Amino acid sequence: MISFLTRRLLLGILTVWLISILSFAIIQLPPGDFVDAYIASLASSGSSVSAEEAAALRKLYGLGEPVYVQYFKWVSRIVTGDFGESMEWRRPVTEVIGDRIWLTLLLSLAALIVTWGLALPIGIYSAVRQYSIGDYIFTLIGFIGIAVPNFLLALIIMYLMFKYFDTSVGGLFSSEYALAPWSWARVMDLLEHLPLPALILALGGTAQLIRIMRANLLDELRRPYVVTARAKGLSEMRTILKYPVRAALNPFASNIAYLFPYLVSGSVIISIVLGLPTVGPLLVKALVAKDMFLAGSIVLLLGVLTVIGTFISDLVLMWVDPRLRHQLD
Amino acid sequence: MTTRRTFLGGLSLAATSLPVAEALAQAVAAKGAVTESGLVGKLEGPTPAGGPVPASFKEAPQLAELVKAGKLPSVDKRLPAEPMVIKPVETVGKYGGIWRRGFIGPSDGENGNRIMASDKLLFWDFTGSKIVPCVCKGYELSADGKTTTLFLRKGMRWSDGAPFTADDFVFWYEDLYSNRDIVPSPIQDMSAGGKPGKLVKIDETTVQFQFENPYFLFPSMLAGDTSIGGGQSTRQSGGNTAAGYAPAHYLKQFLPKYSSEAEVTAKAKAAGFESWVRMLHVKKDWQLNPELPTLGPWKTVTPINTPTWSMERNPFYYAVDTAGNQLPYIDRVVLTLAENIEVVNLKAMAGEFDLQERHIDLQKLPVVLENRDRGKYDLHLDLAFNGADTALHVNMDYRGDAVIGKLLGTADFRRALAMGIDRDQMNETFWLGLATPGSVVCAESMPENPGAEWRKKWSTLDVAAANKLLDGLGLTQKDSEGFRVRPDNGKRIVIELLAVKAFMDWPKHAEMIAQHWRKIGIYGDVKEAERGLAFRRLLNSDHHIFVWTNGGTELIYLYSTWCLPTDISNGAYGIEHAKWYASNGTLGTKPTDPEMLKALDLFRSAAGKQEPERNKIGQELWKIIVDQQFQIGTCGQSPALMGVRMVSRRLGNIPGRTCIAQHCRTPGSSRPETWFYKS
Repeated sequence: MISFLTRRLLLGILTVWLISILSFAIIQLPPGDFVDAYIASLASSGSSVSAEEAAALRKLYGLGEPVYVQYFKWVSRIVTGDFGESMEWRRPVTEVIGDRIWLTLLLSLAALIVTWGLALPIGIYSAVRQYSIGDYIFTLIGFIGIAVPNFLLALIIMYLMFKYFDTSVGGLFSSEYALAPWSWARVMDLLEHLPLPALILALGGTAQLIRIMRANLLDELRRPYVVTARAKGLSEMRTILKYPVRAALNPFASNIAYLFPYLVSGSVIISIVLGLPTVGPLLVKALVAKDMFLAGSIVLLLGVLTVIGTFISDLVLMWVDPRLRHQLD
Repeated sequence: MTTRRTFLGGLSLAATSLPVAEALAQAVAAKGAVTESGLVGKLEGPTPAGGPVPASFKEAPQLAELVKAGKLPSVDKRLPAEPMVIKPVETVGKYGGIWRRGFIGPSDGENGNRIMASDKLLFWDFTGSKIVPCVCKGYELSADGKTTTLFLRKGMRWSDGAPFTADDFVFWYEDLYSNRDIVPSPIQDMSAGGKPGKLVKIDETTVQFQFENPYFLFPSMLAGDTSIGGGQSTRQSGGNTAAGYAPAHYLKQFLPKYSSEAEVTAKAKAAGFESWVRMLHVKKDWQLNPELPTLGPWKTVTPINTPTWSMERNPFYYAVDTAGNQLPYIDRVVLTLAENIEVVNLKAMAGEFDLQERHIDLQKLPVVLENRDRGKYDLHLDLAFNGADTALHVNMDYRGDAVIGKLLGTADFRRALAMGIDRDQMNETFWLGLATPGSVVCAESMPENPGAEWRKKWSTLDVAAANKLLDGLGLTQKDSEGFRVRPDNGKRIVIELLAVKAFMDWPKHAEMIAQHWRKIGIYGDVKEAERGLAFRRLLNSDHHIFVWTNGGTELIYLYSTWCLPTDISNGAYGIEHAKWYASNGTLGTKPTDPEMLKALDLFRSAAGKQEPERNKIGQELWKIIVDQQFQIGTCGQSPALMGVRMVSRRLGNIPGRTCIAQHCRTPGSSRPETWFYKS
């Protein structure tokens, strides 16, 4: 057991190192650097940078150096906890991400709670009452949820809100609170704005989980041990919740690996569509602007979180499922 | 994002506002004159009044309180002895209010720079054609054109109250501009005829730029959006260090010269910067550093790299209205970060911004019009002065393929391409009929325009004439689909149109042009590219034709980048030609086209010529450019770039129409400091 965990941990560290090389390489892949992107962005906003000024910028950001030198500088600073300065935001990367990470976490957690809170009971219901009217209705909604891309849903809802309710579109705050320091009223304002994006974010995932939960549970319900439990006179509630549901939960546990990075990045497309100040759009902008340190740090962060998530999901699986635990002994 | 834009745009256009769109189209089509639609007002703007300085001055209530509390000197001590007196468009305004506006992130610094345009040494009036005083109360160009003297305002102060004098110019020239750690290579603007000029202090309020060769263009450079004349906000932010002056008393602490290299380096490290140079670039950037003394009407409170970029009134601002009220009227400016341009548009339509012209999409005009009453705003369309919002910039030095290179370098081939475009269809589709179709030449009202006939020259749809020209070039063989084939291998001639989706949807424009070209047997292949990538390709000149605006060329000498190969940061016309021009023939390769050589010669000679002669040369230049079709124009003089202006009905002193142009710093030349809230 211990040796298994140590091995997993060491492998994890190796993976993180590989991720750091990969993320840096990926960002360097497209031709051009931050200064090119900067010039292009100025040109399209009706301004310009002279050749002399461009050269000065390249020197300032050390962009003339070979890639491996830039990588080495970057990594050796990260080891000391210094993620560098974002070229576009001209602030330390930790601050730029820090600004947004709490709102992102809040939003993702809210979406997660909605997803699980809806998917688990509905999934169980659908499996237990297979082919009932309720099952058909949920199946229909579920298929729509899977089939409609959620950014499209976001667009439609946004349009309706603007057209019929005159509601502010985009963002997590009304304009009068966007500036204000934290206060009770601002928290309430945030809570008012939260449900809609959380619901949109959750919908696709909910539909999927309902299907998974239903299918898994149906498999388990047909097992002989369920029949035995019933035959022995265990109450229906207890029979289902204590054994088959627990076994059907495995996919939820193995999902944790993907949940971690998701919690931090939020959904990129939905955030862009709804104008939410999460980490997702930040990453997209950083990639477009070729802001190496910011993009690299976010990609690295996502990678590391995936590795940690996988590790934790292994642990949780072992805890949930005794069969796995005993395999190792 | 593509999906979203198309979706919202399409949905709102199709489902909700057809009647408005039709009404607009009819209004426009009625007489073919855009002005008839009622949305294009009279070109007007606040003017520096020539009259006497008011006898007494008044100030904003908040500042009066600070004066009373002894925290601020009284208003007459804060203003220069000769403040700039501005006559507002309508009336003397009243103090108060917050100007709400949208911006799209730290790359959108221009959004604020342009509001701060009154920190320029000289400026243009509202017509964009006459130089007016600004920070400098006047200038004098010597008879030989070799020296330009600037007269400063006595008693003028920085936003922290420190005096603004000739020493701030000397500091910029000697300690910033001449320091190769900060500015690695000198700027073009500071040299005449290839020889660098210098900046000299005459007395406390007089400075002189001295050159070895005549430089009659220099005052225009100081007024234009150039490195030397762009003003502190624009040219000392984002890592730039031009603009001619800088707050010496504040910036000295960050320079090794005034302590020691070790000391400033230690200071930089302690503040989390890699080097003292990096620290200096942040400290002298008004967008990032709220402490930085500035000259503009407002100063930063929360910097641009936070979700809200906000500014408050500069208590030492140097201008008053005709009644002696110190400007600006508006207390604060608050720019809210929007994750993307769509959100800016939606928020503006919901009435959440008070004046927004930047990032407003012309294609959304019908929806913008429909929501006017609900959002409580008025809409103004400001027409630009440049010839083409969509121009085909032809690479005159394409070396990737000898046959294509030769065709692109042939004037008749370019003329045929130009005559194969149906500009009216483009105008209706992409500009809602609001643009003027034609060549790339600037508007007839500009001094460098050679005459109305040059708008149409080679620039109206004439398929027969185009086909005749192409046949004349020997391109008579066609393939089974009717496309002309190459003389060398019998394969189809493919002309690539490199297009970027930037402030207009140029890939779509290019697709339409490619459709038009089918009729003249030319296969146009649209290559859509990401912005940064496209500009990278331009630097290597491995494109055939680049689709982009020619905005800025309305004054050709101040911004020649999009009409002639003079700028080595833009290889649209052949980077080797640009290098050859910029290095006076020591680098790059000489163009072989005699007409191009003639144009470049004329252009080089112009900086040393007096204005009337210079304008004549400008007209000659446009004749050559249009006749040779160095760029192929489609539609222009439209409100597409920063010309769709949504203004809250609460705002006063708003011009009916403003000059939108590079050198006018839209909306800078309509003087935001004179706008006020009526209620």
